[in-house]
Amino acid sequence: MKLTEQDITLWGNDIPWLAGLREKGMRAFTATGLPTAKTEAWKYSFNAVGNMENLQIDTAPHECNGHCHHSEELPFAAYYIDFCNGKLQGEHFDLPRGVSVKPLVEAIYDGDAKSYLNKSFAVEKFPFAALNAAYLEQGAMIVVERNTVLDKPIVIRYHAHKSQNLFCNIRNIIALEARAKAEIIEYIDIEESTCFHNAVNEIFLAADSILKHYKLQKEGKTKYVSLNSVQQRSNSHYKCFVLQKENALARHESYINLLQEGACAEVDGAYRLNESGVSDITTNIRHLAPHTTSNQLVKGVVAGKAKGVFQGQIHIAPDAQQTEGHQLHRALLLSDEGEVDCKPELEIFADDVKCSHGATCGDLDKEQLFYMQSRGICMEEARQILIEAYLQEVLNMIDNSEIAAWISKNL
Amino acid sequence: MGKPILEIKNLSAKVADKEIIKNLNLTINAGEVHALMGPNGTGKSTLSYILTGKPGYEITDGEILFHGRDLTTLKPEERACAGIFLSMQYPVAIPGVASNNFLKHAVNAKRKYEGKPELDAAEFLKLLRGVAKDLDISAEMLKREINVGFSGGEKKRMEILQMSLLQPKLAILDEADSGLDIDALKIVAEGVNKWHNNDNSLLIITHHQDLLNHIQPDVVHIYADGHIVKSGDKNLAIELEKSGYKAFVDTKE
Amino acid sequence: MAQKAEILKNLDEKYKYGFITDIKADTVPCGLNEDIIRMISAKKNEPEWLLERRLKAYRHWLTMKEPTWAKLIYDKVDFQALSYYAAPVQKKQPKSLDEVDKNLLETYNKLGIPLKEQEALAGVVAVDAVFDSVSVATTYRAQLAEKGIIFCSISEAIKEHPDLVQKYLGSVVPYTDNFYACLNSAVFTDGSFVYIPKGVKAPIELSTYFRINAKNTGQFERTLIVAEDDSYVSYLEGCTAPQRDENQLHAAIVEIVVMNNAEVKYSTVQNWYPGDKDGKGGVYNFVTKRAACRGVNSKVSWTQVETGSAVTWKYPSCILQGDNSVGEFYSVAVTHHKQQADTGTKMIHIGKNTRSKIISKGISAGFSNQTYRGLVDVGINADNARNYSQCDSLLIGSACGSHTVPYVRNRNKTAVLEHEATTSKISEEQLFYCQQRGLNEEEAVGLIVNGFCKEVMQKLPMEFAIEAAKLINISLEGSVG
Repeated sequence: MKLTEQDITLWGNDIPWLAGLREKGMRAFTATGLPTAKTEAWKYSFNAVGNMENLQIDTAPHECNGHCHHSEELPFAAYYIDFCNGKLQGEHFDLPRGVSVKPLVEAIYDGDAKSYLNKSFAVEKFPFAALNAAYLEQGAMIVVERNTVLDKPIVIRYHAHKSQNLFCNIRNIIALEARAKAEIIEYIDIEESTCFHNAVNEIFLAADSILKHYKLQKEGKTKYVSLNSVQQRSNSHYKCFVLQKENALARHESYINLLQEGACAEVDGAYRLNESGVSDITTNIRHLAPHTTSNQLVKGVVAGKAKGVFQGQIHIAPDAQQTEGHQLHRALLLSDEGEVDCKPELEIFADDVKCSHGATCGDLDKEQLFYMQSRGICMEEARQILIEAYLQEVLNMIDNSEIAAWISKNL
Repeated sequence: MGKPILEIKNLSAKVADKEIIKNLNLTINAGEVHALMGPNGTGKSTLSYILTGKPGYEITDGEILFHGRDLTTLKPEERACAGIFLSMQYPVAIPGVASNNFLKHAVNAKRKYEGKPELDAAEFLKLLRGVAKDLDISAEMLKREINVGFSGGEKKRMEILQMSLLQPKLAILDEADSGLDIDALKIVAEGVNKWHNNDNSLLIITHHQDLLNHIQPDVVHIYADGHIVKSGDKNLAIELEKSGYKAFVDTKE
Repeated sequence: MAQKAEILKNLDEKYKYGFITDIKADTVPCGLNEDIIRMISAKKNEPEWLLERRLKAYRHWLTMKEPTWAKLIYDKVDFQALSYYAAPVQKKQPKSLDEVDKNLLETYNKLGIPLKEQEALAGVVAVDAVFDSVSVATTYRAQLAEKGIIFCSISEAIKEHPDLVQKYLGSVVPYTDNFYACLNSAVFTDGSFVYIPKGVKAPIELSTYFRINAKNTGQFERTLIVAEDDSYVSYLEGCTAPQRDENQLHAAIVEIVVMNNAEVKYSTVQNWYPGDKDGKGGVYNFVTKRAACRGVNSKVSWTQVETGSAVTWKYPSCILQGDNSVGEFYSVAVTHHKQQADTGTKMIHIGKNTRSKIISKGISAGFSNQTYRGLVDVGINADNARNYSQCDSLLIGSACGSHTVPYVRNRNKTAVLEHEATTSKISEEQLFYCQQRGLNEEEAVGLIVNGFCKEVMQKLPMEFAIEAAKLINISLEGSVG
């Protein structure tokens, strides 16, 4: 049975605006269908999506009581939010004053979520986000109130319980009010299952707020597709770091709107694929106001039959004068059957701007390898050292040293 | 001394809504060398930009006469062709434009303004070679893109080369000695002295004495807080070197 | 020397080439169908195989859709409203230059392309002059023939060198390639044919000068250049059209085949009528240009300076098939007023040790929009492939747009690919510096823009470069202030 024909009852279909939103999502998804080679934003990775027909949403109440995930504690103090099989675990979260986390359904019921849901992007432009809207139910809403500075990072862990062909559909809302500051780590740790994760984060940053967003994806067999749609007000700062390891498909798509003066976005990332799978970092940063800045540095290592994809678009609107947008993608291609595809794109409608992009692709430097061998280091070790050094540059972009150390260890 | 070349009367000016020059008066006569001295970052360069018409600088009061003619309505290139030359503190690089090509354009722009026929490549080259030799500028350097990858000293020599070629009536040297070693400083000073005669005049903007040891000023002005606080002969510069600016600025306040 | 320079000379007016030649034209009725194609083929007295090819292409074209992926907005062409053949009526087929219609010779004279030959070959250019759908004259043929070089119109080549044409025509750009190439394959009328035999270096530059004159006519020319082993040729192309309020369609194909150790340099100065300042009229320039480096150590370089056309859709490409082959693309594109250009290149690395270099300089002014769109594709067997790409854009004024869309696809670990791009504007500091030295704003902009393009201009033959520089300045007149 096709996913879209599965008869499931989602919570809250009696709420007209919610039902309307789901319906609109389904209509948009049916109109576009799954991406093809002609879908520009999916040009290089559409193939990895594969057949979605056998996927099923887990409709039964999930009662693992937190036992199905291994609850790996991270080596630093943090607040935890857990998802298992696509379902949010728990209803109450112990967080300091000024920070609230609610299940999405509760936020919908309370009326808090309505002004945020689907407000940061148009479903017609993102096929999987449209599908996400069609099955909108699971997720969390995180609000950091005005002038609140979170003392520890919030870690959102995603697990799955040895299930096959599971379709996880998650929507999070993250809203930082004026002058709030937070660190949020998304940790995707699904080793066993072959699930399809379809995640959408809608992120709203009010004036002068700062969000540091990390997304770490461990090795696995899963397909993970996400849209991170960010709306930034004046002088807000969004700093994102993405680490992707080998999976059937890992796609992190950022859609960032710099709406007001002084807004700044940074999206850095690293991917490392040893044998197979597709890693895709796609970014669209839209400078819609003057004096906005963006920076991107993505580095990747591809071996085996794997494929690394980077697509980055910087758009500068007609009135967005004195903006600066820079983008750099570098990849190492280490095998005969691997592939690296890259499309850094500039779309500029204002004249007083400074924009640049760069892309390089190559193998490890033979001179350097030989130099190390001549000092008695074996080839394999020399390669490892050079690869780590290669990725180190992008790890240096992480300013929280504890998180940086942890990511470095996981690389 | 000769007739006045430049007369600045009660000049006030602002940049980005900040008043930088306040009621400044200065007259420079033909044949004179004036030195305008003051601490760094007090707006001495602003005066040079006002005189040459750089966009973004607004005159709020007073007048500037050049050969008795109001300067303020003229475009930057008209002022240049009329005979005002500014040796810039930080000359900007123009990638892809060979220095000799740039110089030819500049020389011919002035000739056109004066109603003289433009020089062809051969005539220009002859003129250029003579001047470049005096300033120890090689043919190789003249082929390089203007100010691209030039050292500080090379930039300054290129500025003086342009001054020699364009033969202005008033040359403003803004920190013309920065980045120069003592030999290069002598070459630059010689170039300036060779150009200088009873018909033209010179305004040297600097914050120290070095260049003035090689180009003798007739008048030294101490500039602070947007105007001239004291004027004197060349001994004022020497006095200043000993006592520092503080003494002069403080006496005023 | 003089002829080259004169191609672009006397540029003291905005668009000097906007005049219309009053000459009777032999045209076919408007519209496109199999009968029209048969009629064109019959008029040209073509062999049966070519007609078959045309019809095959036409039938395929009917199944195709006009591409929409380019960043271009224009009124779609009504292909049924066009006439697909227009030839100036001459009393009889001229056998030599003396017999060419005076009116036509005068037209080319006005354009600065004198169709006459000089005794000495030094510093001259051989010209194939294409007027609407037909080639009206080709100079220096006899002298070139002595060396074994064939330089003639493609129509003549079809008759006189059918083996060569049959072998190479469509071998680089098959009729199925894209919408416009397919249309061209069905209706192409004339163009140039160049064949450089083994071991021969062309002693002079060869050039084709394209002129669209007739109203409501599409120009579909076809150029084929074949360079055999160890040969060399430098080829220039220039284009103009009358100033008309309607849009004119130009959908050409250029195919280049390069064998072992051979080199072809292809330079274009494209100055089709760009439309007026409100975007009325102008040429739609939808062109497919591709070179196949089939031999080892073969080399192709595309150099283009584009200031004309209302809408440009053009990606001169290199298929680097032979080991050690080299592809280069040097481009300056200037758009002003309401011009639009979506242009770039494709470098397809197939052979080992293949190298490519892309230098693209885009200048947008007024309300124009310009896109660099490029592809660097490294195949599995392209060991040690190298690419360096640099795309710089300069914006003049705040109403224009500049876009860069480079696609990079790498499937070989030994490949080294580098891409750099920048977008900036002319700095106020640079402008002021020039003005302080007496240059007015327009002169200053011209100087700075030409400096910005220097790397590309250096690749043009000298006299061409000087005139191209002037052309750029004229295109940008009134863009500042």
